[in-house]
Amino acid sequence: MGPRAAALRTELRQLVKEHVPPDFMGAFTDDPADLAIAQRFCRVLADEGLLCLAWPEEFGGRGASAWEQTVVREEMWAHHEPRGAQYMGVNWVGPTIMRHGTPRQQREHLPRIARGEVIWCQGFSEPDAGSDLASLRTAARPDGDGWRVHGQKIWTSYATMAQWCFLLARTAKGEKKQQGLTIFLVPMSAPGIEVRPIPCMMGPHHLNEVYFDGVRVTEADVLGTLDQGWQVVQEVLAFERVGIARYARCERLLLAAPAVLGDQWETLPGELRGRWARMLTHCRRARLLAYRVISMQSEGRVSPGDTAAYRIAVTRLDQESAEVLMEILGLASPSGLDRPDGRWFRLEAEDHWRYSQASTVASGSIEMQRILLARALLKAPS
Amino acid sequence: MNIELSLEALEYGRLAQRALEAAGGDQLVQRAERDPGRRADIMAPVFAELGAWELNPRGDADDLEAAAALCRAAGYWGLGYPVAERLARPADLAADGLVVIAAERPAAAVSGLGLRWTAVTLDGRRSMAVAGDPYGPPRTAAFTAPLDLEPLDDAGAADVALGLVLPCWTLLGMLDRAVDLARGHVLVREQFGQRLSAFQGVQFQLTDAEVERGGVEVLAKYALWSVQAGLPEALDDALALRMAALEAAEVTFRVAHQLHGAIGFCDELPLSWLSRYSQPLRRLPLGLSATRAALASGLGRRGLTGLFSA
Repeated sequence: MGPRAAALRTELRQLVKEHVPPDFMGAFTDDPADLAIAQRFCRVLADEGLLCLAWPEEFGGRGASAWEQTVVREEMWAHHEPRGAQYMGVNWVGPTIMRHGTPRQQREHLPRIARGEVIWCQGFSEPDAGSDLASLRTAARPDGDGWRVHGQKIWTSYATMAQWCFLLARTAKGEKKQQGLTIFLVPMSAPGIEVRPIPCMMGPHHLNEVYFDGVRVTEADVLGTLDQGWQVVQEVLAFERVGIARYARCERLLLAAPAVLGDQWETLPGELRGRWARMLTHCRRARLLAYRVISMQSEGRVSPGDTAAYRIAVTRLDQESAEVLMEILGLASPSGLDRPDGRWFRLEAEDHWRYSQASTVASGSIEMQRILLARALLKAPS
Repeated sequence: MNIELSLEALEYGRLAQRALEAAGGDQLVQRAERDPGRRADIMAPVFAELGAWELNPRGDADDLEAAAALCRAAGYWGLGYPVAERLARPADLAADGLVVIAAERPAAAVSGLGLRWTAVTLDGRRSMAVAGDPYGPPRTAAFTAPLDLEPLDDAGAADVALGLVLPCWTLLGMLDRAVDLARGHVLVREQFGQRLSAFQGVQFQLTDAEVERGGVEVLAKYALWSVQAGLPEALDDALALRMAALEAAEVTFRVAHQLHGAIGFCDELPLSWLSRYSQPLRRLPLGLSATRAALASGLGRRGLTGLFSA
């Protein structure tokens, strides 16, 4: 990765140590203090020029290399994403506005994202449009010099705390369902928006329904070209192509286990320690598969098959490592788990297990990844 | 570490694969099985043409990568010949090759070649080894034979990683081929009026195999780099690779057979040969469970080197 990336890793770990409590499990809990920690940490990163590291310098970033961006992804995910929901704004909302936004939209949104002051939510999925996103029904119907939006979004993370929504809605009926879709940048305070949290096993704030009942939007809210929103969505998905560095948290937790168990580690069933070693191997495998994709992308090569293979490997790793961690936890002595590091380990492993259940569903299900990989395999010349 | 082999090594691998194809390809192992006494003669010309035994994988980083590429090409054609083992030969002994052996019942797929072998256990005990009579005809024993050992010394610890890693490159070549064969078959075979490749149940099995194969590819490069750099944890990395390669072989060969259906068991198709001749690589010196246990034991509580290792 090179010395710059290594120095960045050290810097990030130091900042996490200084500003994120060891029992931090992410910003999305019932305790508002956790959100406050994430907001403060974002300001620290912004002050250090690390929040929007990957952004071009003209928009306040550092124009960081793909490898530096990888280090940020790894370190943040490994430490329960202390940027909170900001990663969405930084990773893809901001870059998309840079590419498609009007000067007014750029002035309005980019500085606030760069300072970590605003939370966005993504208004894509609907009850009948999940993996088949283009089948969505939320519609923006002409009304005077603008539109009125009617419809329902679902599984919308952070909608309860977001100030803005990156909304995909139908504005016309095209020959293909991918045509006639438009992106709107909509303030969540707009009249007619109602958010209903969905209690779920991942914890609060992760899943919500968002209802749009005649929400007024105008041309000024359109991102990019009217009816051409699908192309923007494709770009958004491309920004997230490598996705979350799930392997980093898996590895950190797996490596923490022997110290937490102390002398008890050697008394664990040999088969379980074998599975632990296997999971560490799979962490390495997923990391190297990610690096291969990143390496190809930084050379301008796009390989949907390699990307899908990585995502299949890393999401399975997430779930399998969670099972191994929970089994280790189940055999750990109560006295070990009463120590602070033991308590944190129990919280982290349990949180990891719950969250990992969604990893093969969220951000492109494993079935979609298999379809993409199969398509690449069966089309490529032998 | 570079995520891929050097361009020169990749080119040498392509050259080797073409040369082996021109020399007979799938026919090479079939001829050797029919006439096991001539196995060495059947293979010798093509390896001479490739300058295989002039490679110096222990002394030259470029040659190590070329050796890996050659093993992969040999695996692709399922040669049933100990290419990796010959390339791993020790530098300080008058031996033609090196095999890693289990502490009990040492064996290797090196029968009938008349070569001088060094054997090394996972903990570095070296012996000179002579292959006994094979366990059976090649069709079932795949040239595997017990080894008679003459103990030498305990100086082989540094040999083990290379001795484990290169055969994994051979196995990787076999997985490349198994996926290619499965893919080729489902693209032409029709059932219920459409190609098998149109069925999602078939597609998803193929992706399972490909994810495993691709994972071995990156781990094999990592372990090779670890050997090349002389890292103290090179043995851990080699065992991790071997464990992943053995798991991948289970998945990949199961999928390849399943997608071929009955025709895949027939000797008129290469899969039948490839599958049988993958066996020694997958069982010796340690099978999957024993490899995993050895890895876990070696790692202790420190784990594999990674982002968060001490």
